[in-house]
Amino acid sequence: MAPPSGLHQSAIPSDFETPFPPLVRSSTVPVGLKSHRADPSHLAPEDAYTSFSPPRRPGAFDSGGNGSGTDTRPRRLIRKDASRSRSRRRKRFQKLLWVKQSYPDNYTDQATFLENLQRNPRVRPYDFWPLVADTTVIVQHVCSVIIFIVCFVGIFQERVSPVSVVGWGSFATFLGWLLWDWWVAQETQGGSADDDARARMMRGGRAYSEYRPPRRQDSSGIDQPMLNASTVSISSTSNLPSAASSTTNLLQEHAPPRSTQLHGSHTGNSGLLAPTHAHSRSVSSINSVATQASTANSPTTTTTTTTRLGPDGPEHIANPQPTGRNSRAYVRVSTIKSAILIYFTLLGLSPILKSLTRSTSSDSIWAMSFWLLAINIFFFDYSGSSSAAVGGSGGSGSGTHSKQLPVASLSTNAALMASTVLASRLPSTGQVFSLTLFSIEVFGLFPVFRQYARHRSWRYHALLTVLLVLGAGGGVGMILGDERGWPWKKGLLGMVVGCLIAALAMGGCSWWLIGLQKYKNEIYGPWDPARPIIISRRHWDDE
Amino acid sequence: MPPPATYNIAMVSDFFFPQPGGVESHIYQLSTKLRDRGHKVIIITHAYKGRTGVRYLTNGLKVYHVPFFVLYRSASFPTVFSFFPIFRNIVLRERIDIVHGHASLSSLCHEAILHARTMGLRTVYTDHSLFGFADAASIFANKLLKFSLSDVDHVICVSHTCKENTVLRASLDPLMVSVIPNAVVAENFKPLDPPPPPTDPYLQSQQQHHSRHNSSSRYHPPPSRPLGPHDTITIVVISRLFYNKGTDLLTAAIPRILENHPHTRFIIAGDGPKAIDLEQMIEQNVLQDRVEMLGPIRHEEVRDVMVRGHIYLHPSLTEAFGTVIVEAASCGLYVVCTQVGGIPEVLPSHMTVFAKPEEDDLVAATGRAIAALRANKVRTELFHEQVKSMYSWTNVATRTERVYNGISGAISEAEFYGYDAANGAGSWSATRGRSGVQSFALIDRLKRYYGCGIWAGKLFCLCVIVDYLIFLFLELWFPRDSIDICPDWPRKQRKTDGKDDG
Repeated sequence: MAPPSGLHQSAIPSDFETPFPPLVRSSTVPVGLKSHRADPSHLAPEDAYTSFSPPRRPGAFDSGGNGSGTDTRPRRLIRKDASRSRSRRRKRFQKLLWVKQSYPDNYTDQATFLENLQRNPRVRPYDFWPLVADTTVIVQHVCSVIIFIVCFVGIFQERVSPVSVVGWGSFATFLGWLLWDWWVAQETQGGSADDDARARMMRGGRAYSEYRPPRRQDSSGIDQPMLNASTVSISSTSNLPSAASSTTNLLQEHAPPRSTQLHGSHTGNSGLLAPTHAHSRSVSSINSVATQASTANSPTTTTTTTTRLGPDGPEHIANPQPTGRNSRAYVRVSTIKSAILIYFTLLGLSPILKSLTRSTSSDSIWAMSFWLLAINIFFFDYSGSSSAAVGGSGGSGSGTHSKQLPVASLSTNAALMASTVLASRLPSTGQVFSLTLFSIEVFGLFPVFRQYARHRSWRYHALLTVLLVLGAGGGVGMILGDERGWPWKKGLLGMVVGCLIAALAMGGCSWWLIGLQKYKNEIYGPWDPARPIIISRRHWDDE
Repeated sequence: MPPPATYNIAMVSDFFFPQPGGVESHIYQLSTKLRDRGHKVIIITHAYKGRTGVRYLTNGLKVYHVPFFVLYRSASFPTVFSFFPIFRNIVLRERIDIVHGHASLSSLCHEAILHARTMGLRTVYTDHSLFGFADAASIFANKLLKFSLSDVDHVICVSHTCKENTVLRASLDPLMVSVIPNAVVAENFKPLDPPPPPTDPYLQSQQQHHSRHNSSSRYHPPPSRPLGPHDTITIVVISRLFYNKGTDLLTAAIPRILENHPHTRFIIAGDGPKAIDLEQMIEQNVLQDRVEMLGPIRHEEVRDVMVRGHIYLHPSLTEAFGTVIVEAASCGLYVVCTQVGGIPEVLPSHMTVFAKPEEDDLVAATGRAIAALRANKVRTELFHEQVKSMYSWTNVATRTERVYNGISGAISEAEFYGYDAANGAGSWSATRGRSGVQSFALIDRLKRYYGCGIWAGKLFCLCVIVDYLIFLFLELWFPRDSIDICPDWPRKQRKTDGKDDG
């Protein structure tokens, strides 16, 4: 053996080969521990975070570790070694590896052991009512799924006319679209200056001086003159590309050429509208949120536009801004084209869908659609991330959205597949068509509207929740009720029961979750990977 | 003083040569030094490509490459019991007393500890890594660690942070956990220019005499040529380019460091998924002539790269020990590192500049380091000798030997665990694994495993019982008498006391 240095040879034998004199308990155990622990010399991990933890010497590590090192250290140690037997107990234990300490390797220093442990440092306690309010999102979605099932059962048992279902559904969708459109217009009108400034800030990075305060407050009032029709039409049209693409995504025949074309026109549109560039940005970001929920506004809204409310179109074109006229008209024409295409595609596909699963037994279909709808409910994007894109802080939104996308689209696709296989059980083409269209409205468009309504106003959201719960409860009551009897009575009963169940579930689950918080035990310490703080967030998103 | 006991030790780990890495070299160096101290050491690992059967390394170190299915990054597939027959055979053949497992991700190590306890052997486990508690994978890994360490005799950790982490993860008694750091082979990490020998031959011989004997710290090499204000300072980074090595921080900090300090350049060695980010950064900022990327290098080349620089930058986000910063300091580099994990314990403050794991702070810390070097405040030429005196494998082997002595009862329990036996021994032995009193009886072992959790405890007990049944079956089917004892490689003469050759 050739020890590397002379110092070593002098240090090793004295430190490690001669037996240590036995430690007395008083040297390793603080006095305070003896009183209340059955096993006093045993430092359990709980000691670190229970209230009677051993006394800490604050900053023992920092002061001892970082300030003491000098070149002369080894020599001092040697001298210490000579008088080790005397100074052993006096020399403080240091949490350092490079110092040759006069303590055994398994020595556990009561003062510094686990001193950096943190327990539940980032726990935010839940409050009851906000938690209940948050559950409404889930209740809404579950209720809309129930309503869809009720409608299917109604159609299947031929108790409800499919035309009335899809008619009322489309009417409601149209109303919702009008409302949504109005909100978006309001939003973009107020937010354009804000967004514009922010966009410039993000581009230039030094635009603080040019930052204008947002004008959202004054534009939110009703007394604001009716929204600029051009913004309305722009937002509606710029909404279309992603809608078309996602719906065509569902019906994969005509997708690639048109969607790219529409995207191209969309970007051309925003490029042409130089002054109002920001609002199209925000709208497109809305779209990016809503794509997975298939902002399939286009098939229905445009079908309604073309079939029923033809005059609606010219009104938009009546006073367009001169800059964007051509492109908007182009977009509108292509929208109408795509809507008609989708409408007729659905119509043409219906006979195929009708016979799609003829060779499969109904039991398999029920089981399959159950699982698909369960997937839809469990993987639905409840986060309501439109707030980031619409309201503010849009800068960091895109990264998170791109991450949520796959799961949310899984949810929508599962629902549409469920509706497809359910529709294939129906006997007539008209029923199949109605159910498929209805499912696009319920699973594609309605979530977007709900998300937006929630962001927009809590009152709308609550109202919508109540309506949905009542509708679902009533529907279930009517379906379960006897066909011969008086269906409204059963419906009313169902509503009451539905409300009760919803209230119980919301309150009970919230209470349960709060009750479970006492088991929360997060442990953080120096062993956790540090979270790097990087200013230029360039390499941050792809982690 | 009684003659010191020597042991037959089996090091078990999935990670060993020919694969490069920190755990691998740790096992090799420790085994070599233990052999130097007169013990018999064998290594059990799984078969690598082109490396099967039994091999002898330098110094008669015997390596068993057990055929096993490799799952991921040379960690073998966890089959709880299939390792037992061959393990028993090896252990009996080599007359092993102590089984020493390494690395928490090695399933071979955990299985070996379980089987060794079933066979009535002493077990030691060395933890080389840190784990969090937050994500699902960590929770699972921690449960398995708890299973494996419920019945271990002693645990060795490479830093105090690692000890805290292991104690929490496996619910161990802190006194059962020793902290024995890694070490470096200082001879392999010498600075570039050894100081020119003094002209006076008498002084030279005097100094050699001194350095051979125990006062080398008195020998200070003269300071190297001072850095002028316009001399280029080279910053070296050697790490695998992964997220948890802080490559994101590095990517963000390099352009700013180079902007603030005109006469600096970077040398980056290592490969990984984040290399592309670095290359993009270099191209975006047009830094091709100031940042040199070497790609992956072998461990032997690390020193040659390090000596090209003045500062070693280590932006890691988590690190149990950080051998590489010790190597860098040994090469005479001033170390800038993030203050995470066990890193703050490793080097004295005059060799390091600590930074928070933030872009701004890393840039500032590097600036401080550059300023200190330019002002010639740091005597980096002394680092090598200092590191040499702090970390050596001989020291590690000596301390590990004390652990072996403790668990096998060569030094008394009271002395090893540091409590007065009259008071506490009775109450401890029943509940916990303790060296002198730790029982191999199945029922006592089951008691220890049962406490692991409501469901996990029962499951673990089941595993232990099955393991015991397999053991009984093997005793019946392959009786001990029919297993040949293999002849030992001639043992080194145990150095009776370190003082003699000092």
